[in-house]
Amino acid sequence: MARVLDVRGEICPYPMMKAVEQLKQLKGDESLEVLTDHAPALSTIPWEAAKLGYATTIEVNGRAEWRLGLTRDASASRDPSAVLERLSERLEQLGVAE
Amino acid sequence: MSVSVEAAPRGAALGWHAPPAVVVKVAAVLVAVALLVVITAADAGAGLFFAFGLGFGVILQRSRLCFASAFRDLFLLRDGRTMRAILVGIGLATLGFALLMSRSVPDPTAGALPNQAHVIPVGWYVVVGGLSFGVGMVVAGGCVSGTLYRIGEGYVASLVTLAGILIGLELAAHTWNWWWQAEISSAPVVWLPGFLGYAGAVALTVALLAGAYVLTLWRESGRGPRIPLRQKAELEPASVRGQVGRLYRRWFVTGWPIATGAIALAVLNVFAFTADHPLGVTGELGTWAEHLASLGGLGAGVLQGVDKLAGCNLAAGNGSTWLTSNFTLDAGLVFGAFVAAVLASEFKLRFPRQHVRYGQSVAGGVLMGYGAGLAAGCTIGAFFSAIPSLGLNGWLFGLSLLLGAAGGVQIIKRIP
Repeated sequence: MARVLDVRGEICPYPMMKAVEQLKQLKGDESLEVLTDHAPALSTIPWEAAKLGYATTIEVNGRAEWRLGLTRDASASRDPSAVLERLSERLEQLGVAE
Repeated sequence: MSVSVEAAPRGAALGWHAPPAVVVKVAAVLVAVALLVVITAADAGAGLFFAFGLGFGVILQRSRLCFASAFRDLFLLRDGRTMRAILVGIGLATLGFALLMSRSVPDPTAGALPNQAHVIPVGWYVVVGGLSFGVGMVVAGGCVSGTLYRIGEGYVASLVTLAGILIGLELAAHTWNWWWQAEISSAPVVWLPGFLGYAGAVALTVALLAGAYVLTLWRESGRGPRIPLRQKAELEPASVRGQVGRLYRRWFVTGWPIATGAIALAVLNVFAFTADHPLGVTGELGTWAEHLASLGGLGAGVLQGVDKLAGCNLAAGNGSTWLTSNFTLDAGLVFGAFVAAVLASEFKLRFPRQHVRYGQSVAGGVLMGYGAGLAAGCTIGAFFSAIPSLGLNGWLFGLSLLLGAAGGVQIIKRIP
């Protein structure tokens, strides 16, 4: 079961700040889903999440709306660049530049 | 914010896309072209600046170039990507501006200032304006140009910020005469070429920009991983149709890298200065604020010496008609961002769910409006156009923005 954080309607920097706040409260292998309609958050949240050891997946969730899945990933803290590389590829597929 | 423990329905997560609303996209472009034709027919100069405004809006929307985040994220995230892009853009504009100014004022030491360059006296009013603006843009979540382009993208809170900006500008107008008499009228104008010649002024400006760039890198160091910029290793399609489609996606669907946005804005700024005057967005808003206040009998009346200040002074939009180049630039900015958002399927009305955000929008807007009214400009007019104008005031405003943004970060950290 993932916690869901709905930050639709929020603009920078709140989506990122709230996601980080939630991530810090997660226990064990709990994961977090973030709903946002603010495109800039797609580059800030995964970045901060990687620092905390979370990998991010991004799904399009309708028009100008995205669902981010943040899951604990040991490799995220060990090798953040690989995680971010995959993410950068994904952002490109979705047509959202860094 | 709503946090729930149950998983959200999965059906919507499958990436279903509404079919591309081609009709809406074509209509948005056609309306932009039609407006451009009509405005140009009425007033060629206003039409040209409407075109610049459209470009301005497209650039900001596509690259999400946000001056507020450039300053804020240095403190909040130790992220300097946007600031570094802006510094490069300012450097590029500096070269273009210097060339233009050297044509209009061949001997910079003779005492005359180039017409329309954003050079104003240096004094505490610039510092107070920059501090107020810096706090305000962080609290509101965007500067004035950011507010205008987000209105075009459908952010409703940005309309509230705009109302705050108008209030702030009118407050600045009401205190203007005090500031004028207390300081501005006797404050020194420091135009670097007047002391150093053009070559020396450009060299000093570029050196200071390079120094700021290195300081930004220093600020970013030890901040953790970054998302790498990827080079696309895609095979170029052979057909013309494929090539055109690829270019369309790159420019109108995919977001631009932030550096592309900053460089494009610098080029646009040089074009605007070549045509008449550098980019600036708040001068027009100040005039609107005064017009609206006068309707309610709350106008500030005569502002002493205000037209002696180059750039976005509180009377910059004044004219016998509302169809001025300052107005069409702002209108074009909003409409350009709207068209770009529609083309990328990103236009959507967005309402903040927390009511405190509306309060932040008003308060941040008022602080920005007051700062911009006092210091004759915002992050664009008093910073992005002022440093390339080789005035010391641009640097002073920029440093004050930085301090203000640092203070703003402390405020937003305390607002849930």
